[in-house]
Amino acid sequence: MAAPTSSAGRGWMQRARILAVDWALIVIAWMMAEFLLLAFTGRRGPTGMLLTAEQILDLVHYWVAAAGGLVLAVGWSLLERVIGASPGRSLTGSVPADEKELPWTQTLRGWFAAVFIELTFFTGWLITELELVTFLTKFGKAADIVRGLAHPSASVLHEGMILLVQTIFLAFMATAFAIPIAFVLSFPSARNLTRGSAPARIGYLVSRTVMNFVRAVEPLVWALIFISWVGIGPFAGVLALWVHSVAALTKLYSEQIESIDPGPMDAITATGASTLQVLRYGVVPQVIPPFLSFTIYRWDINVRMSTIIGFVGGGGIGYILKPRVDLGEWGEVGTLVLLIAATVWVMDILSAKIRERIV
Amino acid sequence: MAARSNDAAVRIEGLGMVYPGGVRALAGIDLEVREGEFLAVLGLSGSGKSTLLRCINRLIKPTEGRVFIFGREATALRGAELRALRRQVAMIFQQFNLVKRHTVLANVLSGALGRSALLPSLALTFPAEEQQRALGCLDRVGLGDRAASRADALSGGQQQRVAIARALMQEPQLILADEPVASLDPALRHSVMRHIEVLNRDEGLTVLCSLHDIDLVARYATRLVALRDGRLVWDGTPAEFDRTTFKEIYGEEAEPASNTGL
Ligand SMILES: Nc1ncnc2c1ncn2[C@@H]1O[C@H](COP(=O)(O)OP(=O)(O)OP(=O)(O)O)[C@@H](O)[C@H]1O
Ligand SMILES: [Mg+2]
Repeated sequence: MAAPTSSAGRGWMQRARILAVDWALIVIAWMMAEFLLLAFTGRRGPTGMLLTAEQILDLVHYWVAAAGGLVLAVGWSLLERVIGASPGRSLTGSVPADEKELPWTQTLRGWFAAVFIELTFFTGWLITELELVTFLTKFGKAADIVRGLAHPSASVLHEGMILLVQTIFLAFMATAFAIPIAFVLSFPSARNLTRGSAPARIGYLVSRTVMNFVRAVEPLVWALIFISWVGIGPFAGVLALWVHSVAALTKLYSEQIESIDPGPMDAITATGASTLQVLRYGVVPQVIPPFLSFTIYRWDINVRMSTIIGFVGGGGIGYILKPRVDLGEWGEVGTLVLLIAATVWVMDILSAKIRERIV
Repeated sequence: MAARSNDAAVRIEGLGMVYPGGVRALAGIDLEVREGEFLAVLGLSGSGKSTLLRCINRLIKPTEGRVFIFGREATALRGAELRALRRQVAMIFQQFNLVKRHTVLANVLSGALGRSALLPSLALTFPAEEQQRALGCLDRVGLGDRAASRADALSGGQQQRVAIARALMQEPQLILADEPVASLDPALRHSVMRHIEVLNRDEGLTVLCSLHDIDLVARYATRLVALRDGRLVWDGTPAEFDRTTFKEIYGEEAEPASNTGL
């Protein structure tokens, strides 16, 4: 009795999606292959030096790769009967059942995946300039630092403790201010609550997009923004962690809302209750314990982050750590690092204990 | 409201439902339920019983056809009017669907949400007379002494009785029950069904109740309809129901369980 009404329309969309995925994968593979070809043929620049990875990246023919990739992707989709399902089909979960059974060595997409992984690994090795020999032979310089860390000096202990208190409160205020806003935003950000009407769907999209963007910007960058806004000091740090926490908590909260049992919502809706009442009775009681747990976890993360937010001027213990690293005062650095490690360790245990109690 | 006595409690015309994924769950349902009837809805799993009941109080929006409740077209209502209509229709679910972390009393009180002031209700507070009424509803299902317990501390049968008290609290004219006893121990089924029967017989409430167990149908229903693949395939009284009609509904392979006496 299953009678898909718009199978033609959805079939078309599906093909376009598969083609787009294939295109992207083939283009990436193509570019990596060209990169490696240029690197291993020992191309030299005008000065006679071997080209660096960055210079080679400049030489890759990206437009050729894009065009060639498109031709190959279309070709694959046309020849699918002969050469088997494409990687895009695998990733969109639409490989025909009989092909799924085959071991990867007997399918073209299996070999494509294998080659793709190899290419990625070698390209990555060159681009990030891994040098095993240097790593294994040049330990000497770093030994100074390790020695300093092992002999912490007491001279910054007092100042460090005071700034540690600031660090913990900085994290606390950022978390506390983030809770109510994330709570309110998590409802329009939950898919299951926003299917009903067009405005709800738009609210969902807007909220999700904005929050993803805010979350994608690191707290250190937010700190730089707020320092130019409210000046150097812990307040800028609070604002930076606050903005990032709102976005992170909104995501965690809304995912929790998406996984609730819809039964109580149905039951409350059926009594003739209004939307707010349905949320208050059908949703909120189910999500309060996990929300508490996530919030404490977030405070834990914020304490970690607030120790380094001072590096850029956002207050907390990082503020006095940075100049000592620059001056090479490794003994004092050692003291501060130990203080931070102890705090993070204690927070870790505390948050785990509290969350154990709640869930 | 004067016209009500002429109107059926529920009238369904050409009802059809296709879920967003493309699954057709109901097709061309025509049905009229008179006031005071206890209508049992039978059918295999997946035949569309839940979908039918949920279309009536508009927990889902049917894609075809119309539903009238006491003469008002439910399928045409939106917003506040739809909520006002829902207040007349209480629903009881297979999984009870109580708010587990709330007390039993708070769960019963939630039946009054449709007529409560918004702000106090968001703070979980209700007027004294509603609280009295809720206690009364709990007494009627025999759970007056459990008002302060957390809902999830009760047994399944007790939770379903709380759900019935919540329905009572709503002061409805129509009750939709979706397999209300299917997840209960067989020994407890009658204790729950009897409460629904009382509402039907003594209060004159119309009941639409999907059931799996033919014994229960014979014992409680005044009328019986059956769904198969989303279509209405049988309509009659439990007394007319026999082995042949059973096979009509459930298919040639099916056998009535030995204790159904068919
Ligand atoms: N939310 C949904 N989305 C898509 N399809 C659904 C949804 N709910 C139900 N269906 C489908 O609609 C059909 C009817 O389902 P319905 O739940 O109404 O049957 P039922 O008779 O209540 O079955 P059961 O005895 O298992 O409760 C089934 O094929 C089911 O898979
Ligand atoms: Mg069902």
